Amino acid sequence: MLLNSVIIVLREVLEAALIFSILLALSKQSQIHRTWIIWSLLIGMFGAVVYGINIPLVSEWFDGVGQEVVNALMQYTVYIMLLFYIIILLLYASKPAAGARKLLVIMMVLITSIAMIREGAEILLYFFSVTRSVNHYAAVMMGMIIGASIGISIGFLFYYLLMNIREKWSMIFGLGLLILVSSGMISQATLLMIQADWLPAQMPLWNTSDFLSEKSVLGQLLYALVGYEATPTALQASMYLGGLILPVFIIVLLKLKLKLKFKG
Amino acid sequence: MPKSPFIRVLLLIGTLLSAIRVAAATPVIDVEIKNHLFIPSEIIIPENTKVKLVIHNRDETDEEFESYELNREKVIIGNRKGVIFVGPLPAGEYPFFGEFFPKTAQGKVIVK
Repeated sequence: MLLNSVIIVLREVLEAALIFSILLALSKQSQIHRTWIIWSLLIGMFGAVVYGINIPLVSEWFDGVGQEVVNALMQYTVYIMLLFYIIILLLYASKPAAGARKLLVIMMVLITSIAMIREGAEILLYFFSVTRSVNHYAAVMMGMIIGASIGISIGFLFYYLLMNIREKWSMIFGLGLLILVSSGMISQATLLMIQADWLPAQMPLWNTSDFLSEKSVLGQLLYALVGYEATPTALQASMYLGGLILPVFIIVLLKLKLKLKFKG
Repeated sequence: MPKSPFIRVLLLIGTLLSAIRVAAATPVIDVEIKNHLFIPSEIIIPENTKVKLVIHNRDETDEEFESYELNREKVIIGNRKGVIFVGPLPAGEYPFFGEFFPKTAQGKVIVK
């Protein structure tokens, strides 16, 4: 019971913790005060409770695949917001304006709270299900606290890693990680749409589970960090690749444009 | 009355199309969750075919259908049902489990 609750909560917390830590590091670079976290936590937790309570209803939507569709839409939304975030961040870095700063804060709050809503709702469902059927409150609670702490610690680790390298590199690494996390989201969202039969199902392209299992610790970390998938379909892999290339393309384009502006 | 080649071809196309339609109708498989057990715990599906799993959760508690091998993950609310599409897959065994009660809720999809 204990180990299981550690794993469940860790898996859910890890992704949100990574996004938090990267955005936090990037916003520190842009001299944005970290009070936005309080808003994300408030909205995220409130949203998680509301979504958790309504999952029974949502599940019934679209002939029983409402959960998949809603979760996928949340992830696609987060991806698009991350794209906007990256664009505004680069513009802001070249010319700091108060308006852009406000937009950055709003984006960060929305991105992190949506991530928390999805993951938080699942943790709540787990908690109420398990505590209703077994009398292991203490073990479950302990496991959940340990799981959450490990997840948050990994987040802190990434944050301090990003903060303790040279500023230029931390921007590059931060953006790179953010792009990887967001393409992972696109691939997960696409998988959910396939699971719901809203997107066409295909045979898996390859199977790398013998090489690196999704069950392993490294597999889990890579799943949260870069959306690692041992048996992707062609559609999922191309969405992942597209999700990766698009922001890189935008960044290169912006860099060229901004440089031209400096010369002019 | 002998049929003209044209009609024969039409008939053939018609037969093929109806065969495809039958193949395209996704098979439905019902699975139950009862006392944190999957019933049946072994689900046999044909190779290279998409199937619709309808999972009826007869317990009060929610369960999360989870499988790394199938790449599937879905919360099935207590006393309700959930739909999960699985496949097409190559032959093999694909374990799944209930993430909330993994000690007992175990099963596998066997593709052959």
